[in-house]
This record gives sequence, C-alpha cells and structure tokens, in this order.
Amino acid sequence: MSKSVKRKLFFWAGPAFCLLMGVVYLVAARASGQPALGLMLLIFMVVFTVVLVIVSRYSETVRGLLDRGDERINQIDLRATAAAASALIVAIIGGAVYELARGHSGAPYTWLAVVGGVVYIGAVVVLRSKR
Amino acid sequence: MELEVTGNRIRDLRTAQGLSQAQLAAAMDVSRQTINSIEVGRYTPSLALAVALARYFGSTVEEVFHVEER
Repeated sequence: MSKSVKRKLFFWAGPAFCLLMGVVYLVAARASGQPALGLMLLIFMVVFTVVLVIVSRYSETVRGLLDRGDERINQIDLRATAAAASALIVAIIGGAVYELARGHSGAPYTWLAVVGGVVYIGAVVVLRSKR
Repeated sequence: MELEVTGNRIRDLRTAQGLSQAQLAAAMDVSRQTINSIEVGRYTPSLALAVALARYFGSTVEEVFHVEER
C-alpha cells in the first residue's frame, strides 16, 4: 500500500469512527426507549464530523492528527494521549478510593484500573519484544 | 557519550535555494509547522527526517545539524 493511500485511509478512519459512534448512540438510546436523545446524539456526531473535516482543510495540526503523516504531530498526539491517560488514572484511583471509603467494593473503578493495568503491562511486553 | 542537537542550518540552506517553508515541507512530506519548529530548534527531527533533509540539500547530517557533547 502506497504512503498516500495509507494517509487517505487514516484520514477518513477518524470521521468514519465518529459517524459510526453516532449510529451506535442512536441504536443504544432507542433500545432504552429514548429515541429523541439518540437522534440528538447522532446529529451532534454528524455535525462534529463535518466540522472536523472542514477544519482539517485549514489546520495542519488537525490534518496531521487525522492522517498520521507528520512525525512531529504524531509525537504531540502521543504525549497528549499520555497526559489524558494520566488524568484518567488519577480519576480512576480517586474514584476507587472514594468508593472504598464509603464501604463499597470500589467498582466500577477497580475494574477500570484492572483493565488499564493489564493493557499497560501487555503493551510494554509486546513493544519491548519489537524494539 | 551523550550528544545534544544545539542548532541547525536548515533555514540558511532553504533560503539559499529560494524555497519557502511550505515548499520544503511538501518535499519532505511533513507539515510547514514541523519545518518551522526544526528551524527554530523547538523540535529535533527523527533520524530518518534528518537524513532526508541533509540529502535534500546535498549535505550530511552533521553538516546540517550542530551536535555537541554534553
């Protein structure tokens, strides 16, 4: 696969995922008897996707985040993702401690912590064997 | 031995050839912002991009990037 084809595929993967999530929200909301909420969420995701594609025509950063073709923007994305993950880790640990202090099991925060921990260890093992 | 990139000659080499940042970015298949960040020393490129830049200007990496021992 050529580099330009790969970049085009990467570029459209983001907007396609957003639209897919809009449909998933619609289906989930309809299943719970809230079709209006589902429709609202779908419309929100469609508008977000359209805005994302339009902004990517003017912003190198947004375009780079979508098509993954620029090493510097990929590095920025990686660090921003790590920062977001760090915030989530703090929130999950805080939630688990709070729930434990209230006499509960700590769920679902403890389960989220288990998933995060297992994925992190797995990723380190896999990446270490590749690098 | 720990080495540090302390600067580069990208801007000089680019302007000497009458190229804009956008033109060099297109040639390197990166964004214009990335070329600007490299020129001002905010971003150190990967080895592959450093070699590509050096080859583009018919030079070597060490001639384009200033490296000093820490």
